Amino acid sequence: MNEQRRQVLQMLSDSKITADEAERLIDALDRDRFPSSRAAGPGTKPRPKYLRVVVIADEGSGSHWAGEASGGDGSARINIRVPLQLLRAGVRLTSLVPPQALTRANAELHRSGVDIDLTQLKPQQLEELIEHLDELTVDIDSAEAKVQVFCE
Amino acid sequence: MIPQLVTVGWRRGDGRWRRIYVPVLPVLLVLSPLLLLAVLGGLIACFIFGVSALGALRGAGRLVWALPGTRFEIEDGSMGVLVNVR
Repeated sequence: MNEQRRQVLQMLSDSKITADEAERLIDALDRDRFPSSRAAGPGTKPRPKYLRVVVIADEGSGSHWAGEASGGDGSARINIRVPLQLLRAGVRLTSLVPPQALTRANAELHRSGVDIDLTQLKPQQLEELIEHLDELTVDIDSAEAKVQVFCE
Repeated sequence: MIPQLVTVGWRRGDGRWRRIYVPVLPVLLVLSPLLLLAVLGGLIACFIFGVSALGALRGAGRLVWALPGTRFEIEDGSMGVLVNVR
């Protein structure tokens, strides 16, 4: 479905269709994708529940990374599905970390050359990050490997 | 809802998958004395390190409640590992 959306956008950028036509086509694609939610009400979009990470590496392509990932024998495949609720629960746990532990972690990070102040990182900001993860799509398609990160 | 079934699988050298299905609730019941000890140990650790024990219990509960639906599947050549929580 993402591919179809990309084709529509490509046609728009090639000036083969107008912006109005592109909008209608994308709306039609969304209707096909989420028929029940559209029936429930216009503009409502089901919230994604899972974060998916899919990596497919093929050693046959000769990639150094793929060869390492597959242990030098065949291809490697990683398929991870994590509920967003689990990420939220994990993020809320960060509020339990005592300040003295954060200070020590900051000092160690600084010593390692990473200048990140963990005390400035608020759980609320992390929750906002999780909230907006549903808009995230990473799609890397190369000869060596295919990596996809998305929410569903 | 707490996890009900955890599936742990691995693929052996000959390419065949072997899976173990772990029913969470019965296993928890069997291991409840150990679980109680672990919770007590955790509470003591919270007290020593100055972490809110109530917050930690609530956080751990949220984590456990959010686990269903988690799936890790890693295949590496002829080997593979699968963990699925339902």
